[in-house]
Amino acid sequence: MSQNDQVFDLTIIGGGPTGLFTAFYGGMRQCTVKIIESLPQLGGQLAALYPEKFIYDIAGYPKIRAKELIHALKEQAFHFSPTVCLEERVRYIKKLDGHFEMITNKGVHFSKAIILTAGVGAFEPTRLDHPKTAIFEGKNLHYFVEDLNQFANQKVAIVGGGDSAVDWGLMLESISQEVHIIHRRDKFRAHEHSVENLRNSTINILTPYEVKDLIGSERIEKLVISTSKTQEEKIIEVDAVIVNFGFKSLLGSIKEWGLEIEKGSIVVNSKMETSIPGIYAAGDITTYPGKVKLIAVGFGEAPTAVNNAKAYIDPEAKLQPGHSTSMNLEKPDFVTTR
Amino acid sequence: MAKYTMVDQETCIACGTCGACAPDIYDYDEEGIAFVTLDDNRGMVEIPFDLHEDMQDALESCPSGSIKVAKAQFDSDANKFE
Repeated sequence: MSQNDQVFDLTIIGGGPTGLFTAFYGGMRQCTVKIIESLPQLGGQLAALYPEKFIYDIAGYPKIRAKELIHALKEQAFHFSPTVCLEERVRYIKKLDGHFEMITNKGVHFSKAIILTAGVGAFEPTRLDHPKTAIFEGKNLHYFVEDLNQFANQKVAIVGGGDSAVDWGLMLESISQEVHIIHRRDKFRAHEHSVENLRNSTINILTPYEVKDLIGSERIEKLVISTSKTQEEKIIEVDAVIVNFGFKSLLGSIKEWGLEIEKGSIVVNSKMETSIPGIYAAGDITTYPGKVKLIAVGFGEAPTAVNNAKAYIDPEAKLQPGHSTSMNLEKPDFVTTR
Repeated sequence: MAKYTMVDQETCIACGTCGACAPDIYDYDEEGIAFVTLDDNRGMVEIPFDLHEDMQDALESCPSGSIKVAKAQFDSDANKFE
Protein backbone atom coordinates (compact mmCIF):
# COMPACT_ATOMS: atom_id res chain seq x y z
CA MET A 1 0.00 0.00 0.00
CA SER A 2 1.28 3.42 -0.88
CA GLN A 3 1.01 6.10 1.73
CA ASN A 4 0.76 9.79 1.21
CA ASP A 5 0.91 11.52 4.56
CA GLN A 6 -0.23 14.93 3.36
CA VAL A 7 -3.48 15.96 4.98
CA PHE A 8 -5.53 17.65 2.24
CA ASP A 9 -8.11 20.28 3.09
CA LEU A 10 -10.76 18.66 0.89
CA THR A 11 -11.01 15.21 -0.60
CA ILE A 12 -13.67 14.77 -3.24
CA ILE A 13 -14.91 11.23 -3.74
CA GLY A 14 -16.23 10.88 -7.28
CA GLY A 15 -14.85 12.63 -10.38
CA GLY A 16 -18.07 13.25 -12.31
CA PRO A 17 -19.36 16.70 -13.29
CA THR A 18 -20.29 17.71 -9.74
CA GLY A 19 -16.96 16.41 -8.37
CA LEU A 20 -14.98 18.34 -10.98
CA PHE A 21 -16.82 21.58 -10.28
CA THR A 22 -16.38 20.96 -6.54
CA ALA A 23 -12.63 20.58 -7.16
CA PHE A 24 -12.53 23.89 -9.02
CA TYR A 25 -14.47 25.61 -6.31
CA GLY A 26 -12.29 24.13 -3.57
CA GLY A 27 -9.26 25.52 -5.37
CA MET A 28 -10.92 28.89 -5.64
CA ARG A 29 -11.39 28.87 -1.88
CA GLN A 30 -7.66 28.14 -1.57
CA CYS A 31 -8.11 24.63 -0.29
CA THR A 32 -5.72 21.82 -1.17
CA VAL A 33 -7.87 19.39 -3.13
CA LYS A 34 -7.69 15.70 -3.94
CA ILE A 35 -10.13 13.81 -6.20
CA ILE A 36 -10.57 10.06 -5.79
CA GLU A 37 -12.27 8.32 -8.73
CA SER A 38 -13.06 4.63 -9.23
CA LEU A 39 -12.64 4.57 -13.01
CA PRO A 40 -9.37 5.17 -14.88
CA GLN A 41 -10.84 8.41 -16.23
CA LEU A 42 -12.66 11.48 -14.92
CA GLY A 43 -16.14 12.52 -16.06
CA GLY A 44 -18.44 9.97 -14.41
CA GLN A 45 -21.50 8.84 -16.36
CA LEU A 46 -20.99 11.55 -18.96
CA ALA A 47 -17.65 10.13 -20.03
CA ALA A 48 -18.42 6.45 -19.40
CA LEU A 49 -22.01 6.08 -20.56
CA TYR A 50 -23.02 8.81 -22.94
CA PRO A 51 -20.08 10.96 -24.15
CA GLU A 52 -21.79 11.71 -27.48
CA LYS A 53 -25.17 12.75 -26.10
CA PHE A 54 -26.22 16.39 -26.07
CA ILE A 55 -27.20 18.00 -22.77
CA TYR A 56 -29.60 20.92 -22.99
CA ASP A 57 -30.03 22.02 -19.38
CA ILE A 58 -26.63 23.39 -18.40
CA ALA A 59 -26.84 27.10 -17.65
CA GLY A 60 -25.15 29.16 -20.34
CA TYR A 61 -24.98 26.33 -22.88
CA PRO A 62 -27.97 26.01 -25.25
CA LYS A 63 -26.60 22.53 -25.97
CA ILE A 64 -23.35 20.78 -25.27
CA ARG A 65 -22.06 17.25 -25.83
CA ALA A 66 -21.37 15.35 -22.59
CA LYS A 67 -17.71 14.82 -23.48
CA GLU A 68 -17.25 18.53 -24.25
CA LEU A 69 -18.79 19.51 -20.93
CA ILE A 70 -16.37 17.18 -19.14
CA HIS A 71 -13.45 18.58 -21.10
CA ALA A 72 -14.43 22.11 -20.03
CA LEU A 73 -14.98 21.06 -16.41
CA LYS A 74 -11.56 19.43 -16.30
CA GLU A 75 -9.90 22.52 -17.69
CA GLN A 76 -11.68 24.61 -15.08
CA ALA A 77 -10.83 22.23 -12.20
CA PHE A 78 -7.17 21.92 -13.22
CA HIS A 79 -6.60 25.66 -12.81
CA PHE A 80 -5.77 24.85 -9.23
CA SER A 81 -3.78 21.64 -9.76
CA PRO A 82 -5.88 19.20 -7.77
CA THR A 83 -4.29 15.85 -7.01
CA VAL A 84 -6.18 13.18 -8.96
CA CYS A 85 -6.21 9.53 -7.88
CA LEU A 86 -7.77 7.27 -10.49
CA GLU A 87 -8.89 3.63 -10.21
CA GLU A 88 -9.26 4.00 -6.45
CA ARG A 89 -12.32 3.02 -4.49
CA VAL A 90 -12.71 4.24 -0.94
CA ARG A 91 -13.42 1.24 1.26
CA TYR A 92 -13.90 3.00 4.55
CA ILE A 93 -13.50 6.28 6.35
CA LYS A 94 -12.28 6.75 9.91
CA LYS A 95 -12.46 9.99 11.86
CA LEU A 96 -9.16 10.69 13.61
CA ASP A 97 -8.26 13.67 15.77
CA GLY A 98 -9.06 16.67 13.57
CA HIS A 99 -9.08 14.87 10.25
CA PHE A 100 -10.30 11.81 8.35
CA GLU A 101 -8.44 8.74 7.20
CA MET A 102 -9.67 7.06 4.02
CA ILE A 103 -8.62 3.55 3.10
CA THR A 104 -8.85 2.70 -0.58
CA ASN A 105 -8.01 -0.38 -2.62
CA LYS A 106 -4.59 1.22 -3.21
CA GLY A 107 -3.64 3.07 -0.07
CA VAL A 108 -4.45 5.58 2.64
CA HIS A 109 -5.47 9.22 2.24
CA PHE A 110 -5.91 11.98 4.81
CA SER A 111 -8.23 14.96 4.66
CA LYS A 112 -9.66 17.61 6.94
CA ALA A 113 -13.05 17.47 5.23
CA ILE A 114 -14.63 15.17 2.66
CA ILE A 115 -17.14 15.96 -0.07
CA LEU A 116 -18.98 12.99 -1.54
CA THR A 117 -19.92 13.52 -5.17
CA ALA A 118 -20.22 9.85 -6.05
CA GLY A 119 -23.53 9.99 -7.93
CA VAL A 120 -24.98 6.50 -8.05
CA GLY A 121 -21.80 5.01 -6.62
CA ALA A 122 -18.55 3.68 -8.01
CA PHE A 123 -18.60 2.53 -11.61
CA GLU A 124 -16.82 -0.64 -12.55
CA PRO A 125 -16.48 -2.19 -15.97
CA THR A 126 -18.53 -5.35 -16.42
CA ARG A 127 -15.95 -8.13 -16.40
CA LEU A 128 -15.59 -10.99 -18.83
CA ASP A 129 -17.35 -13.94 -17.23
CA HIS A 130 -14.77 -16.72 -17.40
CA PRO A 131 -12.80 -18.58 -14.68
CA LYS A 132 -9.46 -17.52 -16.23
CA THR A 133 -10.34 -13.82 -16.43
CA ALA A 134 -8.49 -12.95 -13.20
CA ILE A 135 -5.22 -14.45 -14.48
CA PHE A 136 -5.02 -12.05 -17.40
CA GLU A 137 -6.50 -8.85 -16.00
CA GLY A 138 -3.80 -6.23 -15.59
CA LYS A 139 -1.72 -8.05 -18.24
CA ASN A 140 -3.21 -8.17 -21.73
CA LEU A 141 -6.91 -8.29 -20.88
CA HIS A 142 -8.14 -4.69 -20.84
CA TYR A 143 -11.41 -2.98 -20.05
CA PHE A 144 -10.20 0.49 -20.98
CA VAL A 145 -7.99 1.93 -23.65
CA GLU A 146 -5.87 4.60 -22.01
CA ASP A 147 -3.20 4.88 -24.67
CA LEU A 148 -3.87 3.74 -28.23
CA ASN A 149 -0.15 3.37 -28.89
CA GLN A 150 0.18 0.52 -26.41
CA PHE A 151 -1.57 -1.55 -29.09
CA ALA A 152 0.70 -0.45 -31.95
CA ASN A 153 1.46 -3.31 -34.36
CA GLN A 154 -0.43 -5.79 -32.19
CA LYS A 155 -3.14 -8.29 -32.97
CA VAL A 156 -6.08 -6.96 -30.97
CA ALA A 157 -9.44 -8.59 -30.28
CA ILE A 158 -12.24 -6.37 -29.04
CA VAL A 159 -15.22 -8.04 -27.40
CA GLY A 160 -18.56 -6.20 -27.29
CA GLY A 161 -21.10 -4.57 -29.57
CA GLY A 162 -21.71 -1.08 -28.19
CA ASP A 163 -20.26 2.32 -28.99
CA SER A 164 -17.05 1.83 -27.01
CA ALA A 165 -16.23 -1.45 -28.75
CA VAL A 166 -16.90 -0.08 -32.24
CA ASP A 167 -15.17 3.27 -31.61
CA TRP A 168 -12.02 1.68 -30.16
CA GLY A 169 -11.96 -0.74 -33.07
CA LEU A 170 -12.09 2.08 -35.60
CA MET A 171 -9.38 4.03 -33.77
CA LEU A 172 -7.08 1.02 -33.54
CA GLU A 173 -7.57 0.02 -37.19
CA SER A 174 -4.73 2.22 -38.43
CA ILE A 175 -2.43 1.61 -35.45
CA SER A 176 -2.66 -2.11 -34.77
CA GLN A 177 -1.49 -4.92 -36.98
CA GLU A 178 -4.95 -6.46 -37.07
CA VAL A 179 -8.22 -5.82 -35.25
CA HIS A 180 -10.98 -8.35 -34.60
CA ILE A 181 -14.32 -7.39 -33.16
CA ILE A 182 -16.28 -10.16 -31.50
CA HIS A 183 -19.95 -9.72 -30.68
CA ARG A 184 -22.54 -12.30 -29.76
CA ARG A 185 -25.13 -10.82 -32.11
CA ASP A 186 -25.00 -9.83 -35.77
CA LYS A 187 -26.54 -6.52 -34.81
CA PHE A 188 -24.33 -3.86 -33.21
CA ARG A 189 -25.92 -1.33 -30.90
CA ALA A 190 -23.47 1.48 -31.66
CA HIS A 191 -24.36 4.63 -33.62
CA GLU A 192 -25.47 3.80 -37.15
CA HIS A 193 -22.70 5.73 -38.84
CA SER A 194 -20.04 4.07 -36.64
CA VAL A 195 -21.40 0.65 -37.58
CA GLU A 196 -21.32 1.63 -41.25
CA ASN A 197 -17.68 2.73 -40.85
CA LEU A 198 -16.98 -0.60 -39.16
CA ARG A 199 -18.52 -2.56 -42.02
CA ASN A 200 -16.42 -0.56 -44.51
CA SER A 201 -13.20 -1.01 -42.52
CA THR A 202 -10.52 -3.70 -42.60
CA ILE A 203 -11.60 -4.85 -39.12
CA ASN A 204 -12.41 -8.54 -38.97
CA ILE A 205 -16.02 -8.72 -37.77
CA LEU A 206 -16.77 -11.97 -35.94
CA THR A 207 -20.49 -12.37 -35.20
CA PRO A 208 -22.44 -14.03 -33.67
CA TYR A 209 -19.58 -15.28 -31.51
CA GLU A 210 -18.87 -15.37 -27.80
CA VAL A 211 -15.61 -15.94 -25.97
CA LYS A 212 -15.43 -19.57 -24.93
CA ASP A 213 -11.85 -19.89 -23.69
CA LEU A 214 -8.68 -17.92 -23.09
CA ILE A 215 -5.48 -19.79 -23.94
CA GLY A 216 -2.05 -18.77 -22.64
CA SER A 217 0.04 -19.06 -19.51
CA GLU A 218 1.14 -15.54 -18.55
CA ARG A 219 -0.76 -13.67 -21.22
CA ILE A 220 -3.68 -14.50 -23.50
CA GLU A 221 -2.17 -15.92 -26.67
CA LYS A 222 -5.28 -17.32 -28.31
CA LEU A 223 -8.99 -16.80 -27.97
CA VAL A 224 -11.41 -19.61 -28.58
CA ILE A 225 -14.74 -18.22 -29.74
CA SER A 226 -17.92 -20.05 -30.58
CA THR A 227 -21.43 -19.36 -31.78
CA SER A 228 -24.08 -19.92 -29.16
CA LYS A 229 -26.40 -21.79 -31.50
CA THR A 230 -24.24 -24.13 -33.57
CA GLN A 231 -21.23 -24.27 -31.22
CA GLU A 232 -19.03 -23.73 -34.25
CA GLU A 233 -15.58 -22.77 -32.94
CA LYS A 234 -12.83 -20.49 -34.17
CA ILE A 235 -9.39 -19.84 -32.71
CA ILE A 236 -7.77 -16.45 -33.16
CA GLU A 237 -4.25 -15.41 -32.22
CA VAL A 238 -4.06 -12.26 -30.14
CA ASP A 239 -1.55 -9.97 -28.45
CA ALA A 240 -4.23 -8.09 -26.53
CA VAL A 241 -7.93 -8.42 -25.71
CA ILE A 242 -10.17 -5.44 -24.94
CA VAL A 243 -13.54 -6.20 -23.34
CA ASN A 244 -16.26 -3.52 -23.59
CA PHE A 245 -19.34 -4.82 -21.83
CA GLY A 246 -20.33 -1.48 -20.28
CA PHE A 247 -20.35 -0.52 -16.62
CA LYS A 248 -22.09 -1.37 -13.40
CA SER A 249 -22.60 1.13 -10.60
CA LEU A 250 -22.60 0.28 -6.93
CA LEU A 251 -23.04 2.50 -3.93
CA GLY A 252 -21.10 -0.30 -2.26
CA SER A 253 -19.12 0.49 0.84
CA ILE A 254 -20.51 4.06 1.15
CA LYS A 255 -23.53 2.45 2.81
CA GLU A 256 -21.31 1.19 5.62
CA TRP A 257 -19.74 4.48 6.69
CA GLY A 258 -22.44 5.35 9.18
CA LEU A 259 -24.02 8.11 7.09
CA GLU A 260 -27.75 8.62 7.17
CA ILE A 261 -29.09 7.11 3.95
CA GLU A 262 -32.56 7.26 2.46
CA LYS A 263 -33.49 5.15 -0.58
CA GLY A 264 -29.87 4.82 -1.64
CA SER A 265 -29.08 8.54 -1.35
CA ILE A 266 -27.23 10.42 1.39
CA VAL A 267 -29.30 12.75 3.54
CA VAL A 268 -27.87 16.29 3.76
CA ASN A 269 -29.01 19.54 5.36
CA SER A 270 -29.08 22.99 3.74
CA LYS A 271 -25.28 23.23 4.27
CA MET A 272 -24.84 20.01 2.23
CA GLU A 273 -23.59 18.49 5.47
CA THR A 274 -24.19 14.77 6.03
CA SER A 275 -24.96 13.20 9.39
CA ILE A 276 -21.20 13.07 10.09
CA PRO A 277 -19.67 16.53 10.77
CA GLY A 278 -16.88 17.20 8.28
CA ILE A 279 -18.38 14.99 5.57
CA TYR A 280 -20.37 16.91 2.98
CA ALA A 281 -22.08 15.71 -0.19
CA ALA A 282 -23.26 17.23 -3.48
CA GLY A 283 -24.91 16.12 -6.70
CA ASP A 284 -26.98 13.04 -7.47
CA ILE A 285 -25.85 11.22 -4.32
CA THR A 286 -27.68 13.64 -1.99
CA THR A 287 -31.28 13.77 -0.88
CA TYR A 288 -33.41 16.30 1.01
CA PRO A 289 -37.02 17.40 0.71
CA GLY A 290 -37.59 18.66 -2.83
CA LYS A 291 -34.30 17.27 -4.20
CA VAL A 292 -33.98 17.21 -7.99
CA LYS A 293 -31.26 15.01 -9.49
CA LEU A 294 -29.79 17.06 -12.32
CA ILE A 295 -26.27 18.15 -13.22
CA ALA A 296 -27.43 21.76 -12.94
CA VAL A 297 -28.47 21.13 -9.34
CA GLY A 298 -25.14 19.45 -8.52
CA PHE A 299 -23.37 22.54 -9.83
CA GLY A 300 -25.30 24.61 -7.30
CA GLU A 301 -24.74 22.23 -4.41
CA ALA A 302 -20.98 22.12 -5.01
CA PRO A 303 -20.22 25.71 -3.90
CA THR A 304 -22.57 25.32 -0.94
CA ALA A 305 -20.70 22.20 0.16
CA VAL A 306 -17.25 23.75 -0.38
CA ASN A 307 -18.00 27.04 1.36
CA ASN A 308 -19.46 25.26 4.37
CA ALA A 309 -16.60 22.75 4.42
CA LYS A 310 -14.16 25.69 4.31
CA ALA A 311 -15.87 27.22 7.34
CA TYR A 312 -15.71 23.82 9.07
CA ILE A 313 -11.97 23.42 8.40
CA ASP A 314 -11.16 27.00 9.31
CA PRO A 315 -13.77 28.59 11.56
CA GLU A 316 -12.04 31.94 10.95
CA ALA A 317 -12.76 31.71 7.20
CA LYS A 318 -15.72 33.50 5.76
CA LEU A 319 -18.64 31.40 4.55
CA GLN A 320 -19.30 33.83 1.72
CA PRO A 321 -16.53 33.43 -0.81
CA GLY A 322 -16.43 36.74 -2.63
CA HIS A 323 -16.78 36.83 -6.40
CA SER A 324 -14.68 34.99 -8.92
CA THR A 325 -14.61 38.05 -11.18
CA SER A 326 -12.18 39.70 -8.79
CA MET A 327 -9.76 36.76 -8.87
CA ASN A 328 -6.79 36.31 -11.14
CA LEU A 329 -6.83 32.67 -12.18
CA GLU A 330 -3.48 31.23 -13.13
CA LYS A 331 -2.60 28.65 -15.79
CA PRO A 332 -3.74 25.07 -15.30
CA ASP A 333 -1.35 22.44 -14.08
CA PHE A 334 -2.48 18.83 -13.75
CA VAL A 335 -0.98 16.50 -11.18
CA THR A 336 -1.82 12.80 -11.21
CA THR A 337 -0.83 10.25 -8.64
CA ARG A 338 -1.42 6.57 -8.90
CA MET B 1 -41.11 -19.24 -23.42
CA ALA B 2 -43.09 -16.21 -22.32
CA LYS B 3 -41.05 -13.34 -20.97
CA TYR B 4 -42.05 -10.13 -19.25
CA THR B 5 -40.01 -7.04 -18.45
CA MET B 6 -40.16 -3.97 -16.24
CA VAL B 7 -37.89 -1.07 -15.32
CA ASP B 8 -37.25 -0.41 -11.63
CA GLN B 9 -37.73 3.36 -11.79
CA GLU B 10 -36.45 3.81 -8.23
CA THR B 11 -32.96 2.73 -9.30
CA CYS B 12 -32.96 3.84 -12.98
CA ILE B 13 -30.29 6.52 -13.54
CA ALA B 14 -31.64 7.74 -16.89
CA CYS B 15 -28.51 6.82 -18.82
CA GLY B 16 -30.35 5.81 -22.00
CA THR B 17 -28.68 2.43 -22.50
CA CYS B 18 -31.81 0.23 -22.55
CA GLY B 19 -33.52 2.27 -25.27
CA ALA B 20 -30.37 2.07 -27.37
CA CYS B 21 -30.36 -1.73 -27.01
CA ALA B 22 -34.11 -2.33 -27.35
CA PRO B 23 -35.89 0.71 -28.79
CA ASP B 24 -39.04 -1.32 -29.42
CA ILE B 25 -39.39 -2.12 -25.72
CA TYR B 26 -38.01 0.78 -23.68
CA ASP B 27 -38.49 4.54 -23.87
CA TYR B 28 -37.97 7.42 -21.45
CA ASP B 29 -40.23 9.84 -19.62
CA GLU B 30 -39.55 13.58 -19.55
CA GLU B 31 -36.93 13.08 -16.81
CA GLY B 32 -35.12 10.42 -18.81
CA ILE B 33 -36.29 7.60 -16.55
CA ALA B 34 -36.95 4.46 -18.59
CA PHE B 35 -40.19 2.55 -18.88
CA VAL B 36 -41.58 -0.35 -20.90
CA THR B 37 -43.66 1.15 -23.70
CA LEU B 38 -45.72 -1.98 -24.38
CA ASP B 39 -47.69 -1.84 -21.12
CA ASP B 40 -46.70 1.45 -19.50
CA ASN B 41 -44.16 -0.35 -17.31
CA ARG B 42 -46.56 -2.68 -15.57
CA GLY B 43 -44.72 -5.85 -16.59
CA MET B 44 -47.91 -7.48 -17.86
CA VAL B 45 -47.45 -7.82 -21.62
CA GLU B 46 -45.60 -10.80 -23.06
CA ILE B 47 -42.57 -9.56 -24.99
CA PRO B 48 -42.59 -10.79 -28.61
CA PHE B 49 -39.99 -13.49 -29.22
CA ASP B 50 -38.19 -11.51 -31.93
CA LEU B 51 -37.39 -8.82 -29.32
CA HIS B 52 -35.91 -11.23 -26.76
CA GLU B 53 -32.31 -10.70 -27.91
CA ASP B 54 -32.71 -6.91 -27.72
CA MET B 55 -34.21 -7.28 -24.26
CA GLN B 56 -31.31 -9.49 -23.13
CA ASP B 57 -28.88 -6.83 -24.38
CA ALA B 58 -30.69 -4.17 -22.37
CA LEU B 59 -30.74 -6.40 -19.29
CA GLU B 60 -27.01 -7.02 -19.48
CA SER B 61 -26.11 -3.43 -20.36
CA CYS B 62 -28.10 -1.57 -17.71
CA PRO B 63 -25.47 -0.07 -15.39
CA SER B 64 -27.76 0.08 -12.37
CA GLY B 65 -29.45 -3.32 -12.69
CA SER B 66 -32.82 -1.63 -13.17
CA ILE B 67 -34.04 -3.76 -16.09
CA LYS B 68 -35.98 -6.73 -14.79
CA VAL B 69 -36.93 -9.76 -16.88
CA ALA B 70 -39.04 -12.68 -15.67
CA LYS B 71 -41.03 -15.65 -16.92
CA ALA B 72 -44.18 -14.40 -15.19
CA GLN B 73 -46.10 -11.13 -14.96
CA PHE B 74 -44.76 -8.45 -12.61
CA ASP B 75 -48.12 -6.96 -11.56
CA SER B 76 -46.48 -3.49 -11.55
CA ASP B 77 -43.91 -4.57 -8.93
CA ALA B 78 -40.38 -4.43 -10.37
CA ASN B 79 -38.97 -6.26 -7.36
CA LYS B 80 -41.61 -9.00 -7.34
CA PHE B 81 -39.08 -11.74 -8.08
CA GLU B 82 -36.09 -10.37 -6.15
